Amino acid sequence: MSDRIPRRAGALVLTLLLCALPFYLDAFWLRIGLFSMAAAIGAVGLGLLSGTAGQLSLGHAFFLAVGAYGYVWLAGEPGPGLPPALALVLAVLLAGAAGGLFSPVAGRVRGIYLGVATLALVFLGHHVLLTADSVTGGFNGRSVPPLELGGFAFTDGDPELTVLGVPFGAEERLWYLGLLLSALTWFTARGLLRGRPGRALTALRDSETAASVMGVHVARHRSAAFVVSSMYAGLAGVLLALAFRRVVPDYFGLALSVDYLAMIVIGGLGSVAGATAGAVFVTALPLLMTRYADQLPLVAAPGSAEGSIGPTEAARYLYGAAIVVVLLYAPDGLHGLARRTRARLRRGRSAPLPSDPATPSRPAASAVRAKEHTP
Amino acid sequence: MNARAPRPPRTAPAALEVRDVTVRFAGLTALDDVSFTVAPGSVHALIGPNGAGKSTCFNVLSGLCRPVHGTVRLGDAELTRLAPHRIAALGVARTFQNIVTTEGTVADNLMLGRHALSRAGFAASALRLPRAVREQREHLAAVRAIAELTGLARHFDTPVALLSYGDRKRVELARALCLEPSVLLLDEPVAGMNAAERARTAEVVADVRTELGLSVVLVEHDMGLVMRLADEVTVLDFGRAIAHGTPDEVRGDPEVLRAYLGGDAGQEDAA
Repeated sequence: MSDRIPRRAGALVLTLLLCALPFYLDAFWLRIGLFSMAAAIGAVGLGLLSGTAGQLSLGHAFFLAVGAYGYVWLAGEPGPGLPPALALVLAVLLAGAAGGLFSPVAGRVRGIYLGVATLALVFLGHHVLLTADSVTGGFNGRSVPPLELGGFAFTDGDPELTVLGVPFGAEERLWYLGLLLSALTWFTARGLLRGRPGRALTALRDSETAASVMGVHVARHRSAAFVVSSMYAGLAGVLLALAFRRVVPDYFGLALSVDYLAMIVIGGLGSVAGATAGAVFVTALPLLMTRYADQLPLVAAPGSAEGSIGPTEAARYLYGAAIVVVLLYAPDGLHGLARRTRARLRRGRSAPLPSDPATPSRPAASAVRAKEHTP
Repeated sequence: MNARAPRPPRTAPAALEVRDVTVRFAGLTALDDVSFTVAPGSVHALIGPNGAGKSTCFNVLSGLCRPVHGTVRLGDAELTRLAPHRIAALGVARTFQNIVTTEGTVADNLMLGRHALSRAGFAASALRLPRAVREQREHLAAVRAIAELTGLARHFDTPVALLSYGDRKRVELARALCLEPSVLLLDEPVAGMNAAERARTAEVVADVRTELGLSVVLVEHDMGLVMRLADEVTVLDFGRAIAHGTPDEVRGDPEVLRAYLGGDAGQEDAA
């Protein structure tokens, strides 16, 4: 309770900083930020399912695709051509409904087995995206209708907008939309985690028996976690589509699902802040490496000589290595690392204690949990 | 819902009747036509050597294990047909022999005990609707009072994983009490505790029983505790109930002596 005020102040400073960034950064950096924000929303959703409820999902890319394509179809031509803002909301609900359709499986299948079951969704989804030409545009995908809210379009023009001498194009405008949606995600996800559902899901992960004996309806909570996670994925999909301005099927493959798992493992399972940090790391790294490929040792510029490592592959190696390092030395991820550092600093400031009874490294939420006690 | 912590059970005290319950695990008969009745507001001990079927009996009572035949009735409810979470909602709470706590602080664990008593769902919690926030605050106050009662107040915000074995056992007891149960099933509540901790736990059990009038079913190897707390004792051996009665009656029963001391039936294991 004593650190509440500094924490609030910190959050305020961070918010102001994030709001000020479009005035100083160019479109490249803003785009990195946008992709990171979209990824963070999706990662928070997956964190809720895999980190908190202990249900592995490899199907996250599918629900991102449902959100992205749902928005494009609902707001575009061919399609009902709904107002884009309405299409955004409906796309999120559509992703939730898709998750709900899967809930007979998601409610019954536990942990790693659900991972295998959801794997099928990715391949199914990819196939549908390629073949249902009239809705998805097939292999070439579709362009994304820009978002419009009350006559204000999130595009480069219409209306032209210059704030404090800075021209506000699509990236600048979408940046604030991304911030808003990220804030919404944080607000709701933390409410969930700290409330009754979050405790029930944690209990389910740690011991299904204990949870059920304490009154938790196991199947219902597992399904609900899956639906909520799908809705976050849907929202992330819409934001990604808006940032990319074009959706293509190949983006929503298994690799994307694995990327999201990497995000929550690197960030620290079961924490909203951790999922966000992991999302930024995994998203920004390849983009930055592509940009600065010419200045990095051992990395070839994109599209150059064969046999060398391109920046995208190098980034994959790097975050693969990051996962190994995290699992070995900080199994609770960046979030746990930050917490321990903070605790150490605080202890250093007050009386230095010989041992650390106050701030332990909590038993880590490891990537694969198969802990189930039988009474 | 008001915030005074331990309240009398929501449902009127009812007898817990176990009738002819048989459980088989692939040829092994874990419980063989076991019958006993727990009178409302009494402490009923289940004793017997290791492997006698005591924990299996608890698993039947809490819905984790379905009997081949037999019934368990609590008032009008037939428990053998209900899922564990429905049984919890009827006010049957239990602890486990091997401690089963979840990650998080003592407060988090105790709040889990309020799950069946609270209502906030995914939407209400995500949007932090006023009623969800209020509900959480009220239950937190109730839970704090139960922590007070069970001697966990100073550990309230400590991660459970850091607590000593005895304290973690106590967290389980407190979590079960948070359910405001009418029937409390305690599986070896003082195993692994030192003398002072045992006395403290016995005191808590005696207190909640007299103050709240709830029924307690107790599995315990500590005979001193059983003799002190129990109104009635059922002795199990190889899945059969071999004796019923008051602690004094059971102590003198030749069958019981044989089960504990004679033959290959195994010795009493106090651990």
